[in-house]
Amino acid sequence: MRIVVGVKWVPNTQAVRIDPETGTLIRKGVPSIVNPHDLPAVEAALRLRERVGGEVIVVSMAPPPAVKGLELVLGMGADRAVLVTDRVFAGADTWATSYVLSRAIQKISAEIGRVDLVLFGHETIDSSTSHVQAQVASWLDWPYVYYVSSIEPLGDNAVRVERELEEYEEEYVVELPAVVSIAIKAMKPRPVSLQSKLRAKLERRIITWTNADLKLDPRCVGLKGSPTVVAKTVDMPEVPRKKEVYRPRDPKDAARWIIRKMVEDEKLREVMKGIVGDEL
Amino acid sequence: MSQAPSRLKVMKLEELLRRDVWDVDEERHIEVLKQEGLPLKALQLLCPMGCYSMAGERLLMSYEGCVECGTCRVLSKPEQIRWEFPRSGRGIQYRYT
Amino acid sequence: MAKGGGLFNLSKFDVVVVGAGPSGSTAAYLLAKAGFKVLLLERGRGAGSKLLWGGKAYAEPLRKVWPELDKEAPIHRWVTKERISIVWGERALTLEYKLGRKVAFTSPLPELAGWMAKKAESAGALLLDEVPVDEIVVKEGRAVGVRSGNDFVSADVVIDAEGANRILLEKLGLADRPSPYDMALGVKEVLSLDPRLIEERFGLERDEGLSWLILGDITAGIPGGGFVYTMRETIGIGLVLNIGHAAVAAEKGILRDHVSRLVEGLRTHPYFRNYWREADVIEYGGRMTIEGGLRFVPKRLYSNGLLVVGDAAGMLVNTGYTIRGVDTAVTSARLAAEAIIEARDRGGFTEENLRAYEEKVRESYIYRDLVEHSGIAEIFDDPFFFSKVPSLATRAASKLFEADYGEPSLLEAIKRSAEEEEISLLRLMLKVGRVVRRI
Ligand SMILES: Cc1cc2nc3c(=O)[nH]c(=O)nc-3n(C[C@H](O)[C@H](O)[C@H](O)COP(=O)(O)OP(=O)(O)OC[C@H]3O[C@@H](n4cnc5c(N)ncnc54)[C@H](O)[C@@H]3O)c2cc1C
Ligand SMILES: Cc1cc2nc3c(=O)[nH]c(=O)nc-3n(C[C@H](O)[C@H](O)[C@H](O)COP(=O)(O)OP(=O)(O)OC[C@H]3O[C@@H](n4cnc5c(N)ncnc54)[C@H](O)[C@@H]3O)c2cc1C
Ligand code: SF4
Repeated sequence: MRIVVGVKWVPNTQAVRIDPETGTLIRKGVPSIVNPHDLPAVEAALRLRERVGGEVIVVSMAPPPAVKGLELVLGMGADRAVLVTDRVFAGADTWATSYVLSRAIQKISAEIGRVDLVLFGHETIDSSTSHVQAQVASWLDWPYVYYVSSIEPLGDNAVRVERELEEYEEEYVVELPAVVSIAIKAMKPRPVSLQSKLRAKLERRIITWTNADLKLDPRCVGLKGSPTVVAKTVDMPEVPRKKEVYRPRDPKDAARWIIRKMVEDEKLREVMKGIVGDEL
Repeated sequence: MSQAPSRLKVMKLEELLRRDVWDVDEERHIEVLKQEGLPLKALQLLCPMGCYSMAGERLLMSYEGCVECGTCRVLSKPEQIRWEFPRSGRGIQYRYT
Repeated sequence: MAKGGGLFNLSKFDVVVVGAGPSGSTAAYLLAKAGFKVLLLERGRGAGSKLLWGGKAYAEPLRKVWPELDKEAPIHRWVTKERISIVWGERALTLEYKLGRKVAFTSPLPELAGWMAKKAESAGALLLDEVPVDEIVVKEGRAVGVRSGNDFVSADVVIDAEGANRILLEKLGLADRPSPYDMALGVKEVLSLDPRLIEERFGLERDEGLSWLILGDITAGIPGGGFVYTMRETIGIGLVLNIGHAAVAAEKGILRDHVSRLVEGLRTHPYFRNYWREADVIEYGGRMTIEGGLRFVPKRLYSNGLLVVGDAAGMLVNTGYTIRGVDTAVTSARLAAEAIIEARDRGGFTEENLRAYEEKVRESYIYRDLVEHSGIAEIFDDPFFFSKVPSLATRAASKLFEADYGEPSLLEAIKRSAEEEEISLLRLMLKVGRVVRRI
């Protein structure tokens, strides 16, 4: 089975600070990382490969420093990586991103071998739209299942997937080729291993494609190909925590204390009213 | 005494921690195995990142802010604290130090 | 030698180096240059990402490895001013020395170590980061390679350059877990400031830097000291505290504040704060260093197929007022590389042939300095030096300079202050004398 996994190179949002004087984001000196929610998708692909054989190819549309992230994913055991990078791809919204990714996947199918399955993470930590996967599936006209927690191979042409939702579980049999996104924390990603890292480094397993390779219309990619308009951004001020610690005698006592706190707090009282109505 | 500019106000540890970059591992790399005999106050005051704190009588260890300096390691015995490095290059990412 | 595919057999190397700090990268660089197949393994993401120091390296030992150092290395500022201050409360006594030649420079360690690792890579060493080594594998009394997770790579020689937190050496039984009294914790803040302000405030030219050591009550009576180093557009400030003494002080309730509060005390100290009053804190962190001197040096620096270099080998000179670990790490690694090259020419990496490394170290300036300063550790074990001497010195200075005492002679001022501090003058002279002789 040939599995493509999409991974995004994102700023480490944990480390992005807001300048107290200007109110703008400080990104200087903040190293990017592989979107953490994409690693379970990589893990899912590796587990599938271990069972049915084949190849795992990681794809990322990103600027050149993302090579560092691709090295990490290759270090986990992926077979190769394709970095799709070009100045004209910069500034893409989800539409333009998914367009480029879907064309890269088609190119992999044509030049490396038929792609059976495309896996994605659930969302990114820097934009978290969860749009890219569905859009890629639409461009490719393949079926799409999201928030999947496990995948079982079913012969050569299908997989059985499970989705764990809040109140129930679902199971689907999906014919290949297909696009599947993996739920956050569905699988624990394996660490980088010495042998995989060594292999990746010695055999130079990262391929770079620019628009000279993909030959896409510059009007359909990057900023120019992005119809999304940002109407307004709003800063959410940090709410200072009250840091109260209460040591209850028992759970009842704890519950009483919490309810009392909620009723005493003006803002919380409003929220509570919205939930339980005026009887509060 | 003269009024100090705002940048010269003493910063809390939490504020200092916001200056740093980690790629936090989901796997815990340091774990208290046996609290008995550990220098509790020393761990709380000396761990530069404040990873150790007390919840009532219990010593809590939050590995997320650890900079892998080894101080709690030399203050303990192998049977008291399991101490390993994070894998895959995770953990603290120093830049200007 | 290119680092391309065919040249390397997947899991067999001539030399595996554990740790891409200053010592590991030096060894990898010199050995790759001499034609060895070298694998350099680093647990961090990129070399240097786990490193923090004060900030000053002596250049000459580094030039011996990289003659191009002055031109190529990420040198932020050449140290032209050395200051030492003794601080007590709001009082401070400061000594300044102006240097002429390019003796030492400042640089952030992640950047400097990153440069050294690049040099090793461009000489043909294969650097793999994000890979922690779990074990140095020994078979039949001989180091045969390293293990990380389930993977093993074999090597004719393993170089342990893991630094002061030497987990691997302890696992091998070649070192014990150190006493907290033999280790110190460094806690540091990086402040960002316009280079022009740095130069104006400290009276520096464009490429000039300042190295400033601080003794006194900024450590809350715990044996240790403070430092200030100017980089290109940042200033590193911090404290180094003996872990054993600090732990006792914490347990006894003498130390009540978190260590970060002590560093903040330095940053906001009335004597220092105006040098950087506009500066923003851009990073904060800690790292451990060695204070045990010779006590920390393992019994042997070599065995069959294994050499230990840098901090892991205790090759760090802590004089109490300054830490020299980078130039000594580089030098010990250079000597190790020389010994390995000679051993190859003599037919093998046996214990017998690798012994030359330890002999070279014993003949070098590192060992001389280690022996000379080993007494310092003893003196610093004595909190007297850190609580009484600074208060006395600043008190004596106050008697000299604060007019209400008339104009006593210096000796008179020290004597009077000693009486007020209830310190015997004799005991004081003995202590100070011992320190001065050793420094
Ligand atoms: C309101 C809004 C406005 C925005 N405006 C702009 C703008 O003006 N300019 C701009 O540059 N950006 C803008 N963005 C960001 C941009 O839309 C997204 O960064 C990008 O399209 C990817 O979407 P996402 O991060 O939400 O990914 P998601 O849809 O959340 O990602 C789902 C999965 O798709 C895969 N994936 C996503 N991106 C990639 C990739 N690049 N390569 C490989 N796989 C990938 C991953 O597996 C990921 O887990 C905006 C985002 C929002 C929410
Ligand atoms: C607060 C402080 C201030 C200092 N100030 C100065 C100063 O001003 N001047 C000076 O010269 N020296 C100073 N030093 C000392 C100096 O930093 C060290 O002596 C020097 O870095 C030692 O180099 P090394 O290569 O031996 O070890 P390290 O620099 O510690 O490098 C070891 C490397 O090995 C890696 N590693 C460790 N274990 C493993 C493993 N199991 N697998 C893979 N990789 C591993 C680490 O990530 C690290 O990159 C200071 C130290 C401290 C803590
Ligand atoms: S290793 Fe250092 S930073 Fe990490 S928990 Fe221990 S003392 Fe704290």
